[in-house]
Amino acid sequence: MSSARQNDDLFDEARLRRALRLEAAELPPRIDLAAIAARARAERPVFAAASFASTFFAGVAAAGLLGLIATALSTVVPALASDLFAAGIQTLAGVAVPVAALVALAAQPTVPIAMIAALAVAIAYEYAQRRERVVELTS
Amino acid sequence: MAASVALQLGFPVTATATPVTFADGVREHQDEVYGVALRITGDRDAALDVASSTFLKAYRAFDRYDQVRPLRHWFLRIATNEAISYVRKRGRELRRTVDVEEAAALPDWKGAPDTESVAREDRERIRAAVSLLPELYRVVIVLRYFNELSVDEIAHITRRPASTVGVQLLRGRALLRSTLEGER
Repeated sequence: MSSARQNDDLFDEARLRRALRLEAAELPPRIDLAAIAARARAERPVFAAASFASTFFAGVAAAGLLGLIATALSTVVPALASDLFAAGIQTLAGVAVPVAALVALAAQPTVPIAMIAALAVAIAYEYAQRRERVVELTS
Repeated sequence: MAASVALQLGFPVTATATPVTFADGVREHQDEVYGVALRITGDRDAALDVASSTFLKAYRAFDRYDQVRPLRHWFLRIATNEAISYVRKRGRELRRTVDVEEAAALPDWKGAPDTESVAREDRERIRAAVSLLPELYRVVIVLRYFNELSVDEIAHITRRPASTVGVQLLRGRALLRSTLEGER
């Protein structure tokens, strides 16, 4: 049903075939094969020259493009490296300022770092001793 | 002379039992190649140019042609591509619009039934409508209804999927119907 309805919306195939058929008056003159062969032979050197020229110019263009890229890189790379170096130095300086303050604090003799460390060692020792005593009592 | 001898002696074109030369292939298919070019370009001079350039290209590329495949399809593929290039290059689309307007201005064929002139007018009207179709549909319509190729063969020649060709044929016919009914 739907295909019949769809077919109603389409142009008739038989009528299309009849309309497109070549009429006797439309038939072309015979193709001259010898002329085609002669033309192919005559155009061959031109064809080869055109092919060579196109390859040559493509090569020249590629070389030019590569040269341009190399020149641009040689100009851009030092500036880029300089920028990167400056950025690195700036980052290093930014990190160094707080680190220097911490180092200076640790080096201050008023801060009893050694005493804190000794306290930590003592606590750890006492803890270990106590554990050993417990082990002795239970065994 | 040497060229024609080369054309007749060399180039077996099919893998069948009776090998055909390039020259025989051209003789056998030249009307069809001209016809497909004529129906796509809508212009006799253009069709002749397209047919010539098709055979010239085929002659040049014959050593690269896969001789197991049908020569007809190879010729039709080259001709179709050449015709499309020609149409694009010369901007025939604009002129075709004028042709169709002229075709639409023809007298109503229903008024004079069963005469040769009416049949001719009807054919002209349909051809003009075909030449007005977008290139996408025109090529498949011509290959199907002029060259009588199957959907698979058209798909092979145009390098489109068979399902796409099927859809394009249906849309092409629908467009033709609406165009021709719109004229009345």
